[in-house]
Amino acid sequence: MNDSTEDGARDRAPRARRNLQDAVVWVVLGAIILVASLSMDRLESQGINPYTAPGLLPGLLGVAMMCLGVLLALRSLGEGATRHTPVSVSRGPDGSGHGQLTRVLALCLIFTVALLGHGLPFWLVGAIFVSASILTLQQAQRKAAQKRLELREIASAVAIGLGAGGAITLIFQTLFLVRLP
Amino acid sequence: MFSGLAEFGQAYLGFLNPLSIAYGLGGTFIGIMVGCLPGLSATLCIALLTTLTIKLPANDAILILICSYVGTLYGGSRTAILLNIPGTAANAASCADGHALALRGEAGRAIGIATSGAFTSVLFGVLCLAAFTPLLANVALSFGAQEFFWLALLGVTLSGSIVGDDPLKGWLMGILGLFVAQIGQEGLYAYDRFTFGWDQLSGGIGLIPALVGAFGFSEILTTLADPIERKIVSVRDSSLPRFREVLQYWPTVLRSGVIGVATGLLPGVGEDTGAWMSYAAARAFSREKEKFGHGSIDGLMAAETGDMASIPGHLIPCLALGIPGSAPSAVLLAAMIIHGIQPGPMLMIQHPQFVYDVVAMTSLAMVSILIFGLFMVRPLLLVLRIKRAILMPIVFLLCTVGAFAGASRLFDVYCMVAIGIGAFFLRKRGYHMAPFVLGLVLGSVLDKSLRRGLVLTEGSIVPFFTRPISMGFAIVTIVTMLLYIPACRRAVRRAVSAVRISG
Repeated sequence: MNDSTEDGARDRAPRARRNLQDAVVWVVLGAIILVASLSMDRLESQGINPYTAPGLLPGLLGVAMMCLGVLLALRSLGEGATRHTPVSVSRGPDGSGHGQLTRVLALCLIFTVALLGHGLPFWLVGAIFVSASILTLQQAQRKAAQKRLELREIASAVAIGLGAGGAITLIFQTLFLVRLP
Repeated sequence: MFSGLAEFGQAYLGFLNPLSIAYGLGGTFIGIMVGCLPGLSATLCIALLTTLTIKLPANDAILILICSYVGTLYGGSRTAILLNIPGTAANAASCADGHALALRGEAGRAIGIATSGAFTSVLFGVLCLAAFTPLLANVALSFGAQEFFWLALLGVTLSGSIVGDDPLKGWLMGILGLFVAQIGQEGLYAYDRFTFGWDQLSGGIGLIPALVGAFGFSEILTTLADPIERKIVSVRDSSLPRFREVLQYWPTVLRSGVIGVATGLLPGVGEDTGAWMSYAAARAFSREKEKFGHGSIDGLMAAETGDMASIPGHLIPCLALGIPGSAPSAVLLAAMIIHGIQPGPMLMIQHPQFVYDVVAMTSLAMVSILIFGLFMVRPLLLVLRIKRAILMPIVFLLCTVGAFAGASRLFDVYCMVAIGIGAFFLRKRGYHMAPFVLGLVLGSVLDKSLRRGLVLTEGSIVPFFTRPISMGFAIVTIVTMLLYIPACRRAVRRAVSAVRISG
């Protein structure tokens, strides 16, 4: 029983620490919102009713955010956020999930910022993104099976990419007259 | 009364044409496919279809969206049963019993129960939708700014309290959503708030891009962060709808239908609440409690009936008050506004036929899920075999289209990506997106209602607490927040025990 209680406390402390970090962020954000709301123009020169000042609700939201942030901080402190616990060495099965995620995130950002809306047709940009993403996402499986990238896989990814880009363009732009980037 | 019946008849006849039937079946089909895929939600499906149907006539567009809404929740039961992963959050309550039945070789039976339960509960919900929407709209005509203020705040508070297991984090997300809704030109004087001189922000953060980011892109990142692909249980037995079991478990079906519609009426309460409350009630009344979680037909029937009945339930406040009951109904609300229909108390006066049209659309969705449940179970399951590596990039591509199509701005795509990344990291730290979305939708209502209310009362907040309906909403909101405090919860439990003992 004592071991399980200690284990529970050990699990709670890191979570409480994370909550305390979040609480600080919430309080700071709430304060920024409150200050920005108070410094907003009250449009007195337009003779508006003072109860309709644009900064009214945002200011109240800032206060509410700060109050709830403080509550979160107090709760975290009560749950042992400042308690020292030994760092656990357990990890997930491997780092593959996070590595894959980082690569996909990078692809999404490159697609959105560098490729989209820069003159290339959407079907082509879409095809490039989908093909590159499929090959990247299948990399972990190839690595686990110790297989090399084959031409067949590249051709398959490119075909799927072209199909997806083309189909989306056809359905949205041609059939339903929706403007694409 | 007879004019109402005539309008119902006119609405049903209006949809009995090949094009409308095709739209209805198509919308339901897309919804079922999206619902079958874990990680893709009803909110994302409706948001993407809103952009696809933006050029269609209003009735056709809303028909597709409502059918896809119903189809997504119905389709989500597939993965709950076969993969033990809910296709949408609303199907989580079906996982335990549905998957247990599947492991016993009764996957088809479980799917058949989901079909018959869904059909029956949507039928019940449609009757409630037809009966209560005009009544609620009539009552809402007497609502003033103070009532709408509390209703908006109640929606965010309830959503934060019920979604997830930490109300404090839920309320913080609700406040964040309310704040994000304030960015841009405000509604009374067109004053730019929190734009920092950036013209792109004057138009505010679009609802569709924010929803696509919070429920689409963040789900993609969450799915890809989990490298495990789950094993699908095969369907070997018959998956035909089991109406005999609906009759056998009729108390559960009726009870769950009532609970589903009632939870749908509450602003901010999602479909999963209807499912879980129905499940809990079925277990409380069951003589075979030990079977729950281990393949109970009663449990599965309750979960599926509760979540499907909440769909028409959510449409009632959406149409009558202009306050969405859930994230998917928030997107529906946005779609209606895009197509020139303003939901709210004036809807029954300005567009009375539209309410009857929505009843007919939901009925068409109900028939569509029966058709797909009869004929298309196994073919639809093929979509579960699509690998994540292929599906997720295509979904992201659709997300960019969905974010862009509303206003044709790349800025909206950047907002979608930013909100999606933010939502992903917030979810990892235990914050849910539903209160954020509700806050985003209700922020404008809250802002205008507060300021108008204060103008009418010349700055006094007393009428916000003394007007009868306002007082009711205020009490519920404040009690919901007070129940978070352990001392208050203990006091309530002691009071309830004392009442039970004296009774």
